[in-house]
Amino acid sequence: MLAVSDGGKPDLTMSEFALNKLEEVFTKLKRSVWVFHLNTGSCNGCDIEVLDVLTPYFDVERFGIKLVGSPRHADLILLTGPVTIKTIGKVVRAVKAMPRPRLVLALGSCGVGGGIWFNTYATLGGYPQLEKILKDAGVEVDRVVYVPGCPVRPEAIIYGVAVLLGLLQPKSKHRRVSAVEG
Amino acid sequence: MRMVKFLKMLSISVREGTATRKYPFESPLVTPEFRGKIEVDPVKCVGCGACTRICPPKALTIGNEGDEIVLKYFEGRCIFCGMCAYVCPQKAITVSKEFELATWELGDLYDEVVHTTVKCRICGKPFTTVKFVKEVEKRIDNKVPEDLLTVCPECRKKLTARKIGSKVVGVSGE
Ligand code: SF4
Ligand code: SF4
Ligand code: SF4
Repeated sequence: MLAVSDGGKPDLTMSEFALNKLEEVFTKLKRSVWVFHLNTGSCNGCDIEVLDVLTPYFDVERFGIKLVGSPRHADLILLTGPVTIKTIGKVVRAVKAMPRPRLVLALGSCGVGGGIWFNTYATLGGYPQLEKILKDAGVEVDRVVYVPGCPVRPEAIIYGVAVLLGLLQPKSKHRRVSAVEG
Repeated sequence: MRMVKFLKMLSISVREGTATRKYPFESPLVTPEFRGKIEVDPVKCVGCGACTRICPPKALTIGNEGDEIVLKYFEGRCIFCGMCAYVCPQKAITVSKEFELATWELGDLYDEVVHTTVKCRICGKPFTTVKFVKEVEKRIDNKVPEDLLTVCPECRKKLTARKIGSKVVGVSGE
């Protein structure tokens, strides 16, 4: 169905690895994370904020975070955009090209839930939908962090990376309250 | 020549200082106009659904869940436009400055307000919230015919049609 041709070699299922070795790998990752910026059809708002994070103003290289040109060198994918139908094949290939552990930061309201394009004919509607396709293609992703915002603030991206690496606990909690008679 | 240029840079950087934000170690720059996550006040909200209709990405939705009506807010899809706060007739929505929302669990990004419902007198289907009916009664001084408040829109249509029908045919009663 999807054109995920990568020499025809099936991706190894490494869920045991994800379960047992991930924490160990994370302690190593605290030293530095190399990121690959993957635009899946975003409006470029989030991409500009990603660039902002890399400029001297926010200078994430002080944490060892470095932008690389190929997913094969990356630990983390900065995924922006609602995943347009046209990009699916390429996105799956880029994620598949990453070495384990595969980490994804779904950025922006588009990346998290499709944003204002959550139900159009031309988009999938964000990372949660893409995850199903990745599963079908046998591509495992070890950890995902969702970072809402439209566009995401550079600070929010830095915060997201900290949450991803387990340096900070997420603040958001599911809240379900009864409407009180007032 | 190059060296001279470099020295020039040095004097500028001494004058201007460090440009880099210390962000995780200092509070972020948040202007008074900044819009972050919204908060729905469960005391003020009546469950009218006006906010769900204006919301551009439908981050706010309202729907029946069994015997309850639930107003759901999905932070993950919100574009932080503040239209819902502007349109809410009860002023139940406030726009906060919170933007550090990153999380592992998609479920953490949902906020829900659960409303008790009024059931239709005829078909028994829950069709609106108790608080909404009370608010409507308050706003128009209890001058609403009972039918309008206790009968769901579908049953009301049938009821009206039957009334008109009976007038035309000349038969009284329902
Ligand atoms: S989240 Fe907003 S800024 Fe980012 S790609 Fe989507 S529409 Fe653009
Ligand atoms: S518009 Fe206001 S009162 Fe109506 S459902 Fe939304 S939050 Fe509640
Ligand atoms: S701020 Fe805008 S996008 Fe967010 S819930 Fe309100 S209307 Fe919807």
